[in-house]
Amino acid sequence: MSNGSSPVSGIITRRYKTGSIIYFENDKSEYIYILKEGKVVLTSTKVEKGDIVETKDFVKPGEFFGVKSALGKYPRDETAQTASEVITLVLTPAEFERLILKNVAVVKKMLRVFSNQLRRITKMVREVLGGGTTLNPEQELFKIGEYYFKNGKHQQAIYAYKKYMEYYPGTKFAPVAMKRIEAINTGSADYDMMQDSVSFDSGSASGSSGGSDADMTDFSIDEPDEPTSAPSDDFDFDEPAPAAPAGGGSPKSALHNEMDDFLSDDKASGLDDFSFDDDLGGASAPEPPKDITQQYYEAMNLYSQDRAADALALYKKILESKTLKTDADKKFYEKAHFELGRCQLKLNKSPDALAAFSALLKKFPTTDLAKNAYLHIGLAYEKQRDVENAKKFYSRAAATEPRDDINIQAAKRLKALQ
Amino acid sequence: MMLDGQLFDKFGVEYAPNEIIFCEFEPGNEFYFIHSGRVKIVKIINNTEKTLDILEPGDVFGEMAILEEEEPRSASAIAAEQVKLLKFHRANFDALLQGNPQLAYKLLVIFSKRIYDAKRRLMILLLDEPQLKVMDVFNMLSENNPQIDIQAPVTLYATTQEVANWAGLPLNDVQKVLTQFSKLGKIELFNDRIVVNNIRDFQRVVSSKRKKL
Repeated sequence: MSNGSSPVSGIITRRYKTGSIIYFENDKSEYIYILKEGKVVLTSTKVEKGDIVETKDFVKPGEFFGVKSALGKYPRDETAQTASEVITLVLTPAEFERLILKNVAVVKKMLRVFSNQLRRITKMVREVLGGGTTLNPEQELFKIGEYYFKNGKHQQAIYAYKKYMEYYPGTKFAPVAMKRIEAINTGSADYDMMQDSVSFDSGSASGSSGGSDADMTDFSIDEPDEPTSAPSDDFDFDEPAPAAPAGGGSPKSALHNEMDDFLSDDKASGLDDFSFDDDLGGASAPEPPKDITQQYYEAMNLYSQDRAADALALYKKILESKTLKTDADKKFYEKAHFELGRCQLKLNKSPDALAAFSALLKKFPTTDLAKNAYLHIGLAYEKQRDVENAKKFYSRAAATEPRDDINIQAAKRLKALQ
Repeated sequence: MMLDGQLFDKFGVEYAPNEIIFCEFEPGNEFYFIHSGRVKIVKIINNTEKTLDILEPGDVFGEMAILEEEEPRSASAIAAEQVKLLKFHRANFDALLQGNPQLAYKLLVIFSKRIYDAKRRLMILLLDEPQLKVMDVFNMLSENNPQIDIQAPVTLYATTQEVANWAGLPLNDVQKVLTQFSKLGKIELFNDRIVVNNIRDFQRVVSSKRKKL
């Protein structure tokens, strides 16, 4: 750092003999010094690893000293002593400001030095406070979301989860984060039901891409309704063997026929255990299928990465599932109807979106997603410029209890149309 | 600092009460200047959200991000009320400094203060006993107001929670210490303030213990 070499009017020049004290630690003074000639030693006591140690720094000609304490208006935190004959310039903060405002490069350099010091000290404070030293920011960010989620601060939780998805899509906790966002958005967030769901064992943390089996084990145990015999899951249901490849034509017809059948079957048989045995007997799936929960989160993940078309294909695949073993499977099968509609909407296929939402409401007349479906039907109609129908569904959504964010959103859209 | 409208048009952002501006551990390379409203700086420590600071108009936060490599935020910033902020990126920081050297100077002053505050806090945290920590929090709070007459009883506007945050102690422990001090007639406790009858006594005790370190 070099000061402007030309003498500045009004600034005092001071000369010191070798061994003189310019100021003592703990002195109060507003003066800032620039070393013009000679050697100055700054002796300070610093805290390092819990011990207070004395350190010495040497000022080079052209450098400032005494800046921080003068600007921060606090006592000197070092003693300045000359190690030779010395000439210094002495500035008030006002003079210092005038001088450096002409030289932004100097300010920037000082800022860098100061910010490094600040970071170092802040880190020490954190260590003393008991915060861990080497934290994994990915995991920690997720934990912040968990903290707010657990404490019912959903707005903050959503922020943290969304940032997590933004910075770490496809990592360890992405599926859970997605699920939490989903739970909050649909108003079904209940931490107690999801408790103990995530284990933060650093050992198995990995940067693997989304949807790997290892990732999934973490949240498969947190399904509230999941039976404890988790290992048998893989054999529990068979994929429709002759199923057409996902992503074919419109899902409507297949969906309507097959799924209605499925549902009535399910209701008729009633007992899960019974159908479970049946399935086992007939289980001859050529390849170990991914369960519906896995597929669902993979799809959510894709959607969050703006890959609506890929997500859509996966939801269609879920809707083709013939056997829903667990309650979780049933839940996600139901949700997939809704998500399919959202994908269609995102892809600007409003008619297909409307078909998907209608299918949801028809097949699951008591679904929790009804209100959200009304809202999205409204959105689909609005996209088609069918204002009357859009209004109709927005007001239906706005009037549906219990009230939450969806009501507010619906009311907003309604107001905008009126 | 002068804030022309142009600056606000270009860099202005608004947040509603309780909205997160940035979140602990989120990577970030922006810093903010508070134009109006107050911002809470919080951190989740031992599964509790602790308020580290409440910042006012004219304050800057997130400034670490501007000069360092992209690092996760060390705390969260949450709007305490409706706030208007100026938001700067590292990319436009140089241009900003060139055009607004006053802001650069302001940052320099802020860094100076922050460094001192952090060092001062470290001195508190490194003391051994809870009593000493609490005493030194009072010392620090009284130092923050140079107008205070240390010969007379000193009124400090702080809550028990704030003292606990500064001292890095659980609230219960601090309450115990405060009750003890109060019984001994060293302090008087009020809802919004604490009166220390003889701050010089606290200063003396703390500095005698600190020298032994």
